[in-house]
Amino acid sequence: MALTTAEQPSVRASRAPGIPVKRRGSRRGRRSEAVAGYVFLSPWLLGLMAVTAVPMLLSLYISFTSYDILSPLSEVEWVGLENYKRMFTADPSYWRSVTVTVSFALIAVPLKLAVALGVALLLNRAWRGVGLFRGLFYLPSLIGGSVALAIVWVNMFNREGAFNGFLALFGIEGKPWVNDPTWALETLMVLAIWQFGAPMVIFLAGLKQVPTELYEAASVDGAGRFRQFVSVTLPMLSPVIFFNLVLETINGFQGFTAAFVLSNGTGGPVDSTLMYTLNLYIKGFTDYEMGYASAMAWVFLLAIGIITAVFFTTGRFWVHYSDGDDR
Amino acid sequence: MHPGIRTHRRRLLRGLAAAAIAVPLVLGAAACGDDEGGGSTSDPNAPVRLSVFYWGSEARAKLTEDALNAYKAKHPNVDFEVTWQANQGYADKLATLAAGGDVPDLFALDDNMLADFATRNVTADLTEYKGGKIDVSKFPPSLVEYGMVDGKLVGISAGENTQGLVYNKTLLTKNGLPEPTTGQTWEQHIDWAAQVAAKTKVPGTQDPSADYKAFWVWIRQQGKDLYSGKELGFTADDLAKWFTLWKGARDKGATPTPDIIHEGNVTDISKQLVVTGKAGTSWVWANQMPELKKNTKDELGVVAYPGDPSGQWARSSMYWSVARGSDKKDAAVDVINFLVNDQEAVNILGTDRGLPSNIDLRTAFASTVSDPNMKLSIQVENDLASKFGKAPQVPPKGHSTFRSELVKAAENVQFGRATPEKAAADLIAVVQPKLG
Repeated sequence: MALTTAEQPSVRASRAPGIPVKRRGSRRGRRSEAVAGYVFLSPWLLGLMAVTAVPMLLSLYISFTSYDILSPLSEVEWVGLENYKRMFTADPSYWRSVTVTVSFALIAVPLKLAVALGVALLLNRAWRGVGLFRGLFYLPSLIGGSVALAIVWVNMFNREGAFNGFLALFGIEGKPWVNDPTWALETLMVLAIWQFGAPMVIFLAGLKQVPTELYEAASVDGAGRFRQFVSVTLPMLSPVIFFNLVLETINGFQGFTAAFVLSNGTGGPVDSTLMYTLNLYIKGFTDYEMGYASAMAWVFLLAIGIITAVFFTTGRFWVHYSDGDDR
Repeated sequence: MHPGIRTHRRRLLRGLAAAAIAVPLVLGAAACGDDEGGGSTSDPNAPVRLSVFYWGSEARAKLTEDALNAYKAKHPNVDFEVTWQANQGYADKLATLAAGGDVPDLFALDDNMLADFATRNVTADLTEYKGGKIDVSKFPPSLVEYGMVDGKLVGISAGENTQGLVYNKTLLTKNGLPEPTTGQTWEQHIDWAAQVAAKTKVPGTQDPSADYKAFWVWIRQQGKDLYSGKELGFTADDLAKWFTLWKGARDKGATPTPDIIHEGNVTDISKQLVVTGKAGTSWVWANQMPELKKNTKDELGVVAYPGDPSGQWARSSMYWSVARGSDKKDAAVDVINFLVNDQEAVNILGTDRGLPSNIDLRTAFASTVSDPNMKLSIQVENDLASKFGKAPQVPPKGHSTFRSELVKAAENVQFGRATPEKAAADLIAVVQPKLG
């Protein structure tokens, strides 16, 4: 698509007298090319401006005000960096939610990726009915962010839940998992890990791309299963691992629905499930501090940006692209 | 594989990862100005369409629809666009509507939200309608005063209720245990609950230390109040004593384990421990008794909270308010007047939102009631009426923060994560600056 539109103006330009024909087209041709490009882009661009850019800039402005969501925006008071200052110095719930979110991401994300990779390895074989299993394992992710699933989870992991019933078969006395501040966040982690379908499918696609001759060569050299996994599979898969890692980390940080449903929107018991986004929601819509909530959102955006930048910087040391153009 | 395709794949993966970062997670509240309400419709018979918003259960939705239809029968030019939802999330939704400049013409509030919405000018000042289009002369004076914020009448009381301790009668009779009574002391109630637990293995009472309305009654009985103007009306010491009282009850086995208490610390009627069978008693509003009964087979009873009943008051359970930005204020006010001052509407609505505010209509309605649970809750509230204390002020802005912080502080103590003193001091530090 992009190639065909690039060719046409240069053809027209070559007909004009006195202008030497260039491979990439004349300056005028290039400009009309750009105009055409923007015209074709405009539906998306306008949508981006109206639905994303304008509200985002507005929220940046709001983050420097005491906007309470109920009063008209024209009456808000400019407070400068007050909201940001309060976040870092005078709000214990803020740091509580940072701790909860970071520990959630640190534990749930690596485990979820490990499970996804493990299952992908198992399903990357020519078994009978392997397609059915692939579908079944992917299923939990389809219903992933849904409220219904979170409600099911609450009922499975409370004191009378199915999970404790299962433990009782072995004579183990269960805990009130979701209603106990020691275990509530762990219950959410298990829910997140269980929804490993999306990264699994991507891993599976990645595994199919690894050339079989590499394994043949490795086994000729006497490499066992494990050695093949470490020296062939992992390096060849590293771009996909990188992709999943970035994606799942961002998802992990943004976890909201399950925490909201599990705690009735409070982050309880005792702030144990107070994810960052949930805290942000409470501040904005329950405490009517939308200015402060907007400031929290911007710090959050910045933090995720930095974490992702770190991934991209360190990625060049361990991500292996097999096209001979490694940096 | 062709090297070009590999490069492509690499770019694609990187591009997708970068796009994921750009996923907008910054909330944007595109707020429009909330215009001061325009002129009222001059012709009373011109067609009007009013938007109505309230919270409640399916049963309440049915009753409200019937009452509004009764109005429509008398005023065919008026049409309603009704939205309702559960209590949880109602205030959030209303706030979002306010931010969008789209507040419904007629909406319900309770004292937990009234000041928040009134001081931010979401509600219209109805003072000018008092005595004219809205008749509040038959209301108990406290119900009228309880709808005033900063000298403005911002809500018309939709009903009256008071704190009620609902207990499982079947459980007690079956085990030959005495029923709780109005006027029992807090210590007597806790000892009674321990006795129930010992005999039935069901903890006698829910631990109400996270419940603001129970704390409110208790602190009034100590000669103080929840608020004094725009300040908290009690000290950290008082709150620590309250937490300690219930810590003692837990040590005696009178109340459930912390995780069960946590389950009951929601406003949802169907999850109250007295109907889920996890405690013998729940701390609710007296008018909720008939609704609780629908969730259990056991017989229920209701008495006042422990201590001197003068700690309780005739509370406006809910208000009808009008949007400040509405251009149909006259029509909306007329509907409110019908809902609270028309015998037909009052009889339809029953005690679902509390006892009818209009005393004359309340008496007339009470004589027609046949549902035994509704009868009992009316009787208990009427018995208490002579013992009520003076109604407190409407809670100030920031009350919602106090409520959620109280749950947090109480659960911190229950789970043994903080001493009563530490939890109380932390709460005061967080809540005090939010009031105003």
